[in-house]
Amino acid sequence: MSVYKHNYRAYAGKITPAWTRVLVLAKYGFAEAWSSKITVGLFTLCLLPPIVFLFGIYLANNPLARALIGSRESRVMVVDARLFLVILQIQSWFALALSSWIAPRLITFDLADNALPILLSHPISRFGYVFGKSIALFTSLSVVTWVPGLLLFTYQSYSSPIPWAAANLHIATGLLAGAVIWVALLSILGLALSSWVKWRVVATGAIFAAVFVPAGVGAIVTGVLRTKWGFLLNIPFMMSLLWRRLLGAPESATVRYSLPTGAIAVMLVLACFICAAMLNARIRAREVVRG
Amino acid sequence: MGIIDLNGLEVRFGNRVVLDGLTGELQGQAIGLLGPNGAGKSTLINTLLGFHVPSRGTARVFGLDSQRDRAQIRGGIGYMPENDSFIGNMSGVRFVRYMAELAGLPAAEALERAHEALFYVGLGEVRYRKVNSYSLGMKQLIKLAQALAHGPRLLILDEPTNGLDPIARQRMIHLIKEIRKEGSVRLLISSHLLHDIDETCDEVLILKSGRIAALCNIEEERRSNRSFIELETVGATERFSVSIRGLGCECACFPGGRIKLVIPDNIEARDLYVIASEQGVQIRRMNRRRDSLEDIFLRAMDNEAGRADHVSL
Repeated sequence: MSVYKHNYRAYAGKITPAWTRVLVLAKYGFAEAWSSKITVGLFTLCLLPPIVFLFGIYLANNPLARALIGSRESRVMVVDARLFLVILQIQSWFALALSSWIAPRLITFDLADNALPILLSHPISRFGYVFGKSIALFTSLSVVTWVPGLLLFTYQSYSSPIPWAAANLHIATGLLAGAVIWVALLSILGLALSSWVKWRVVATGAIFAAVFVPAGVGAIVTGVLRTKWGFLLNIPFMMSLLWRRLLGAPESATVRYSLPTGAIAVMLVLACFICAAMLNARIRAREVVRG
Repeated sequence: MGIIDLNGLEVRFGNRVVLDGLTGELQGQAIGLLGPNGAGKSTLINTLLGFHVPSRGTARVFGLDSQRDRAQIRGGIGYMPENDSFIGNMSGVRFVRYMAELAGLPAAEALERAHEALFYVGLGEVRYRKVNSYSLGMKQLIKLAQALAHGPRLLILDEPTNGLDPIARQRMIHLIKEIRKEGSVRLLISSHLLHDIDETCDEVLILKSGRIAALCNIEEERRSNRSFIELETVGATERFSVSIRGLGCECACFPGGRIKLVIPDNIEARDLYVIASEQGVQIRRMNRRRDSLEDIFLRAMDNEAGRADHVSL
């Protein structure tokens, strides 16, 4: 083909490797997610806490700066596992908000206009399709969770007057692992729920509901049956426990119940399997009528 | 080896057999896929694309197995689905570029080919508009553009003229003919409109209840059939028919001066006019026709022998 001749011509150029098709999906998904002003607004909001904590770490490590702002305290705050736990918790809940906005944008546009038959008629598998979209979501959520967390850790290591990094390396690995688990869970949960709801606003609500409604049910189960196992439905509670253990922060004295790490892991894996089954049922080129 | 080889292909949805032991070799430049609703046309296309797993038998495209080599097959196929299928909030050019990149074109080439494909199908002026603002005809055309952009070896068009007005339909048929003429792309066109297949295809596969009712080369079929002439006459019709029988024509007379005749190759229409003039008969109307695809299709639908695997008409 040629614009001026309007004739068809076959393509004889080079072809990209098969594995890069997933990145094409990720690229267009990423562009779609970030084309919204609300995404940019949410992202800006997500970066505010790390900036505040950055300032706090700066003050904690700089007596001169503390003197300049008139602080009499010898330490503004203690930079330890507890501080990074707070950072991780705040950023993780911001990530939930961001994922509830971004995930529906990645999937529902394709479903609303029945684009799957065309998309999947290209050399890309259903797994590849979901994986490509997950990369876009995972990357977006990473930028507001473990990336700023590790940057703060690096800054603390750099600005601390005493050797700090080597003794606290478990904080960095725990923060990275905890954030990656949460972001991966949010990615698959967001995509699975979005694939079942064609309206984006409803999908956004469904993602929040999927996190908080079972938590409410779990609290009722715990209250009625007087058992700690109801908390296995409470994703925020489970994640808080997991993060605390990964970062090595002491367990809070106010927490009456605790759950074994193994049980938390099983529940998270189970949630991922359910999401995978939901995606498997919906991400198809054709709806097959059985009977 | 054909473009598409079917070997005892059976596809089931649950207990329902949708494609029942299809066997045949399709090798035309443009292959028409005909059949009534529910005959299994779209299922066959979806199976060729690897969307459905055969319960028995195999389907091969360019010698590649539809299941085992589906990624390779899809790389060489451009698919235009029957129903609306696009990403509505993307501009036309972005959508086509996206599809071309997914097919394996590098980003820069994909953008270039997207512009070219959109101009080629006649959407050049609206390529920056969002796809969901397009009319039905434009949506059909953008599906064709995305199927063409990466330069496929086989173009699968599922009901390409669905919902188009006569002008848009003509444009679509014209485009398909042009693509066929260019020669580098093989076409598989599914339609329930016989006229569309008649105009664009040289080979036809007719499906009925998931089985092959006919598989034939349209041109050869036409050549093998004799030509008919239908006449409407006024005057001494009986005497006129006796005279034209004398020329070697097979002839049947009907009330109202209508005569239907099969003429041998050495007889021209002019000869009929000469005899009519000599006998004072007026020929008011003359229709020359050969076996149409409609005749082939109807025979295949009626043909009990069509239940065999491979039927030649």
